[in-house]
Amino acid sequence: MYERLIVERRGPVGWLIFDRPDVGNAMDARMMAELEEAWRELDDDPAVRVIVNTGNGRNFQTGLDVAALSRDKEAMTEQSRRTRDAELRFTAWHNQVWTPVIAAVNGSCAGGGLHFVADADIVIAASDATFFDTHVSLGQAMSYEGVGLSHKMAFEPIMRMALVGRTERMPATRARQLGMISQVVDPPDGLRDAAQELAEQVAKNSPAAMRATKKALWGALEHGLTDACRAGAQELVAVWGHPDQTEGPLAFSEKRAAEWETST
Amino acid sequence: MGDEHLTFSKFDTLIVERHGPVGWLINNRPDQLNAMSSHMRDEFGDAWLELDADPEVKVIVHTGEGRAFQTGVDVQELATDGMGMERYRESVENWDLHFTAWQQGVQKPVITAVNGICAGGAFHWVAEADIVIAASDAQFFDPHTSVGQVVAIEAIALLRKMPFEAVMRMALVGRYERMNAERAYELGMISQIVDPPERLRDAAQELGETIAKNSPAAMRATKKALWGALEHGLTDGCRAGAQQLVSMWGHPDQTEGPLAFAEKREPRWAP
Repeated sequence: MYERLIVERRGPVGWLIFDRPDVGNAMDARMMAELEEAWRELDDDPAVRVIVNTGNGRNFQTGLDVAALSRDKEAMTEQSRRTRDAELRFTAWHNQVWTPVIAAVNGSCAGGGLHFVADADIVIAASDATFFDTHVSLGQAMSYEGVGLSHKMAFEPIMRMALVGRTERMPATRARQLGMISQVVDPPDGLRDAAQELAEQVAKNSPAAMRATKKALWGALEHGLTDACRAGAQELVAVWGHPDQTEGPLAFSEKRAAEWETST
Repeated sequence: MGDEHLTFSKFDTLIVERHGPVGWLINNRPDQLNAMSSHMRDEFGDAWLELDADPEVKVIVHTGEGRAFQTGVDVQELATDGMGMERYRESVENWDLHFTAWQQGVQKPVITAVNGICAGGAFHWVAEADIVIAASDAQFFDPHTSVGQVVAIEAIALLRKMPFEAVMRMALVGRYERMNAERAYELGMISQIVDPPERLRDAAQELGETIAKNSPAAMRATKKALWGALEHGLTDGCRAGAQQLVSMWGHPDQTEGPLAFAEKREPRWAP
């Protein structure tokens, strides 16, 4: 069913892997459609507690497949409309995925690949990963990716990436200094093991509490501070009375692993 | 540090005192790792207002007794008092909180000096302080989701002020990972690491005295402008900030500052 992605489960961790290594995992119309389907499938699966997103081959993701676009403009009509109307559906955030998402960046993350960094909850990268934005070098404007990132980290590095274009790459170590990512995995081939390990730790926490936490914290990017706190207070209180709220402290005091509610 | 001030109320869970121009608010439930009981929550509200109202206090330092700065709400009390979080439902739902400087509208500069453990709800006082410094052995982590609780308000303020990913990682990894002072410094969550840790209070007093040299009126307007910026988009933030800027024009500090500089003497600020 998936031709452009690999979607699989390892324990409590769902893996969503870009699988067009010959073209730098660039997105054509088919891949964009499959991404929407895959995020939904993984988010709806109660056995999947955490999702890891990575790429096959030597690139993580290099954005829109410009070659495919130049061959067949018609195929991209629907995606162009979605871009214009801000109705994109290819990242976890676009699809309102409330399961925690870890992006594990292998190799190059270029242009539209930054969507998946901006829209993940946690980002780790292989030590040979690089981040750059090719849009202006190809006569395209950078927008969504930079807007998303500008809410999450220092502004100047994003603007520099956007304006310098393809002639400069940000290494993983600098991305970590800036807080764009939180972990550099060395050697690079340890990336997937590190991601699985981190995901299994996250998977130990209450799914209901993490869902409400994600809603509160992503929601905070939508509002001014006071309004965001008001909205966040509603997410906080919404979980009061949920069984995880008493199970958590109980398990802690009894020194055992908590048994979380797995449904909603 | 002598020179204790006698105008403050007597608190059960806090130590409130003044050393020179610096008012100190010290979490004082060390046996509970300074976890916040309902009583402590009430005392915070009063202590911030008393420190903000005292004309001798120019800067406020907030720290903790013992091996933890603070560890959030007192879970022991929640588990045993029969009321649990329900006690706080109305105040949270109505966004009617009074235990941090920001919530209390404190106008003076606030320095949080993190000693040891800073966990969960303790991030309220990291997120809502103006300046944060930490002892070199400070540790930051957020165990909420590991005990079935939601991370919301404290992280919301924090993620407006530093990289988002680091805050989200702490929230989702929970108690299985701790951030050290060095990483907090790299990320700009704190601006100074004090080593050895025992020097934390001296360093905070020193920083407090340095800040106390600046114009109280100018700092008050600056705080309003910069915290106000977190409420708006950029253009609206600048418009609101412009009001704070202009509000100082004609204030005596505006001429006293340049004059003292030219005359190579200490300025005499209006209160």
